[in-house]
Amino acid sequence: MSENQQNHVSLHPAIDQLITNIETVVVGKTREIELSIVALLSGGHVLLEDVPGVGKTMLVRAMAKSIGADFKRIQFTPDLLPSDVTGVSVFNQKTMEFQFRKGPVMSHIVLADEINRTSPKTQAALLEALEEGSVTIDGETRMLQSPFLVMATQNPIEYSGTYPLPEAQLDRFLFKFRIGYPTKSEELDMLGRVEKHHPIENIQPVLSLEDILAMKKEAAEVTASEKVKEYIIDLVSATREHHNVSLGASPRASIALMSASQAYAYVQGRSYIIPDDVKYLAPYVLQHRIILHSDAKLSSTTNERVIKDIIEHISVPFGDK
Amino acid sequence: MNRGVISYSLLHLFVYILALFILWEWLRPIPIVTDTAEIGWFVAFAFVSAALIYLRIPLYVMLPLLFLFSLWGLHELFGEGTLFSREGASAVIWRFIEEFRQNASVIWGGDFSGLTNFFRTFLLFVLISLITYLLYYWVFQTRRVFFFLLATIVYITVLDTFTEADASQAVVRIVVIGFFMITLLHLSGIQEEEQMIGRRSKTFVPAAWLYTLIIMATAAVAVGMFAPKPEPQWDDPVPSMQAFVTGDGGSETVSRVGYGDNDEELGGGFIQDEGPVFEALAEEPVYWRGETKDVYTGRGWETSNEDFRDSLTYGAEGQIDYYLYDFIEPPDFIDEEDVSRRSAEIAMADEAEFSHLFYPGQLLNAEIGNITAETGGETISGNDLDFQTDRLNGRINASSAGADAHLQNYTLDYMDVTFPIHELRELSEDDPDGITGRYLQLPDDLPERVIDLAAELTEDEDNRYDRAVAVEDHLHGPDFDYVTEDVAVPGEDEDYVDQFLFETQEGYCDNYSTAMVVLLRAADIPARWVKGFTAGEEIENGEDMNRYEVTNANAHSWVEVYFPEVGWIPFEPTQGFDNYADFEEDFDIDIDDTEDENDEQPGEQENDPFLNEDTADNEREGAEGIGAAVDRFAGTGFTELIMITLAVVILSIGMYVNKHRILRRVYMQYYSVFKQDKTFDAAYSRLLWLIGDRGYPKRSDETLREYAHRIDKVFRTSEMTKLTEVYERRYYGGVTTDDDWLSNKDRWEFMMEKIN
Repeated sequence: MSENQQNHVSLHPAIDQLITNIETVVVGKTREIELSIVALLSGGHVLLEDVPGVGKTMLVRAMAKSIGADFKRIQFTPDLLPSDVTGVSVFNQKTMEFQFRKGPVMSHIVLADEINRTSPKTQAALLEALEEGSVTIDGETRMLQSPFLVMATQNPIEYSGTYPLPEAQLDRFLFKFRIGYPTKSEELDMLGRVEKHHPIENIQPVLSLEDILAMKKEAAEVTASEKVKEYIIDLVSATREHHNVSLGASPRASIALMSASQAYAYVQGRSYIIPDDVKYLAPYVLQHRIILHSDAKLSSTTNERVIKDIIEHISVPFGDK
Repeated sequence: MNRGVISYSLLHLFVYILALFILWEWLRPIPIVTDTAEIGWFVAFAFVSAALIYLRIPLYVMLPLLFLFSLWGLHELFGEGTLFSREGASAVIWRFIEEFRQNASVIWGGDFSGLTNFFRTFLLFVLISLITYLLYYWVFQTRRVFFFLLATIVYITVLDTFTEADASQAVVRIVVIGFFMITLLHLSGIQEEEQMIGRRSKTFVPAAWLYTLIIMATAAVAVGMFAPKPEPQWDDPVPSMQAFVTGDGGSETVSRVGYGDNDEELGGGFIQDEGPVFEALAEEPVYWRGETKDVYTGRGWETSNEDFRDSLTYGAEGQIDYYLYDFIEPPDFIDEEDVSRRSAEIAMADEAEFSHLFYPGQLLNAEIGNITAETGGETISGNDLDFQTDRLNGRINASSAGADAHLQNYTLDYMDVTFPIHELRELSEDDPDGITGRYLQLPDDLPERVIDLAAELTEDEDNRYDRAVAVEDHLHGPDFDYVTEDVAVPGEDEDYVDQFLFETQEGYCDNYSTAMVVLLRAADIPARWVKGFTAGEEIENGEDMNRYEVTNANAHSWVEVYFPEVGWIPFEPTQGFDNYADFEEDFDIDIDDTEDENDEQPGEQENDPFLNEDTADNEREGAEGIGAAVDRFAGTGFTELIMITLAVVILSIGMYVNKHRILRRVYMQYYSVFKQDKTFDAAYSRLLWLIGDRGYPKRSDETLREYAHRIDKVFRTSEMTKLTEVYERRYYGGVTTDDDWLSNKDRWEFMMEKIN
């Protein structure tokens, strides 16, 4: 898929403003910003697989500040406990009562850094929160905030001292993508911006949390025609039949692809999904939800390639009504 | 394909030269259909201006050069002496300035017919240079020549059909050149596309292409030439079309119908008009003589002067005062039994308006009382009519109160003579002065080769009769074809007989009879040209008398040769017709046989000249193969059919080749009718289909939007994306508005135009 085919001419005006605002901090990452917003609007979460220092934190912070949301960062370490993520009830000796202390996950926007460095137990606590939208502490269920967006990062799994995320749990993330290094000119631009003072300090909210909630509602109203739904199903079920795949994407993937497409169509200023939305989002939605055969892995086939191959072989619905 | 960039490949130069040859075909018929003398200068000018345009000479150099060249041409065409002297150059320049001034005011006044030939010629030079530029543009820029070729074919066909221009050769040339032009242009297109995707083809024209091309062109031309071509199944519509346009029965110079008065411009087709002229009751089939003419002008016949006697007078023996024979009582050498007096009755058809008599042989008597005529709507008896006999040309005219009366019924007595050939051979050749003075006339500019041919034909014969027969035999020979359609009209400087004898060698009675008279006169034998009707078709067979119907198609002309002491004896040079005069071969031979031979029904074949033509054609084809086929192709009745077939074939090929364009037109017309909003979906699908057909189909994994981007890139537009957005909204979003079609129709039409 070509990089520039999605033009932003007809972009939703508020979203356009939001993207422009974030771009004052993050240089040349329009697509990633847009995807993050799509995840925010569709209630999904993002898994970034990236090396440190490419601007993940900046992206998340800038987004949080732009919508006036609170932001927490969790640095996952091997000794991090589940309660460090979800929060803990501590006994207040003054009041002689247990008092709940909110964990970082109880924020609107959470950056879960190097999620694969911590123990599976702590990972599970986070993932459960992503899935359920609530945490249960000491038998008491506490709802998480809304909007709620978790951007988890993981180091490429070859690095030593990591606990790879269980594949079955990866599909709790709506998208998986990389931010990647900036180009030379972008990096040059970036240096110019941070020369005097960091632009993140000056960033102002352009939308309120209420705006985002309203948008979330509107995005859910975006329609998908039968043809588009068929296209989604064709794509997802093709992952189950592909010869290099041992475990294909689940029906949850179909739902994810559709709701992401709705949010994306909304961002594009449309009230209906077109196949382009689905086709554009499919790699981000599907590639972390499939498991390849081991011989496919050996022949250096990657998940991206498999998804790309599937997209190229599924015909786009079009024709007489 | 990037059509904006001019490629200077050798291939295109070659095609450009071919295009100039096609332009030449446009110029070729000009001398025939106009009074332009020659086209050499125009062709040369076309090639020079093409060369200058091709070399991309700057305009400020090219225009003066072309102007000088056209001045040179004007000087050669209109001026005198050499241009390359001070006088010559200044003369032409001054003349040009003067003409320019004069014609500018004529043009300013809107009187275009007042333009001088000099200035018109200059304008033609200008036109030619413009056309050469246009050809350059077609070949190098648009890379399309098909419509130019088609226009050429139409032009040539129209000229061939409606004028004397003969396009049978031109069509072959155009088809061959056209094959090469279209194929080479197509080839160059493919080569360019190959280069764009990185495959280079270095050869000028791949050998396989060249062989295929040559084989195809040869095969097409060969099939066109040798394939059997049936006769047209309908009447030739051209004369009636011409009549419709010109308002009369076709102009006299182009074709002849029936028996006319004016024979000054002969040539052109003979129209088979079956309209009745009269019915005759006669004992045997005879030729009906109307009048003779004596002055040959090189283009036709005139009468030197008219010697009318005031009334239908009778000589001593009751004979009308017009003498075909030099005797009243047959001379000794003609047996009495060979001279007989016969009678005939004629009833003119209602639509025939002839004021003079038609009679067979020497007219003896016309019963005045039995003659009826009509004038001003009234029927008059012969007693009330005035008759004038032209003693020179034998026209016996009836009039009433000074106005021609239209004869209705009359009865005639005439003398029927059988001539003994051996006696004719013995006759002296001392012609009276009155005869030689009038009947040896020939135009001063008669081509020498006619006289040479006459001498050659007659040199071995020692008497007048055999010389006349030798000339007659020559015209009956295989060199000549009897045709009635597409008969040539002599050009400005051509002689009618010369053209027939040496160039066309095909024609009908006028050609044969005139040629025989001229050849005889060239051999010092007095002869004259007779016109009238052949015997006609026998419609009733009686005991003594038969009834014959004579139609306009029976109009005929033949020859009379003067024999001293005998008089004027008819000869029949036209192929397929028999002399109605009887000759006795020899007393020793059984007379009946001879007579039978000569008595063959003259009416038998003459009504059906096509029959003759067919037999002659078949024989020739068998004997001469290719030559005959080429002749035939170049020939007569088939040409229109071939032209039409060719035009249809070329048109079909053209439609196939241009099917996108034609379909596009059809769809554009079709959808423009509709105003409903839902038309948009159908029109959009049609557009996709046409683009796919144009070579850019949508891949199945491509979304409409991706495809639209691609198409917009190819055609350098942005309209496809906009159209697609509307379609997406309607198709995927289910959101429709009332004016989706009307407000996007322009975009759609723009794309339809763009994809070609």
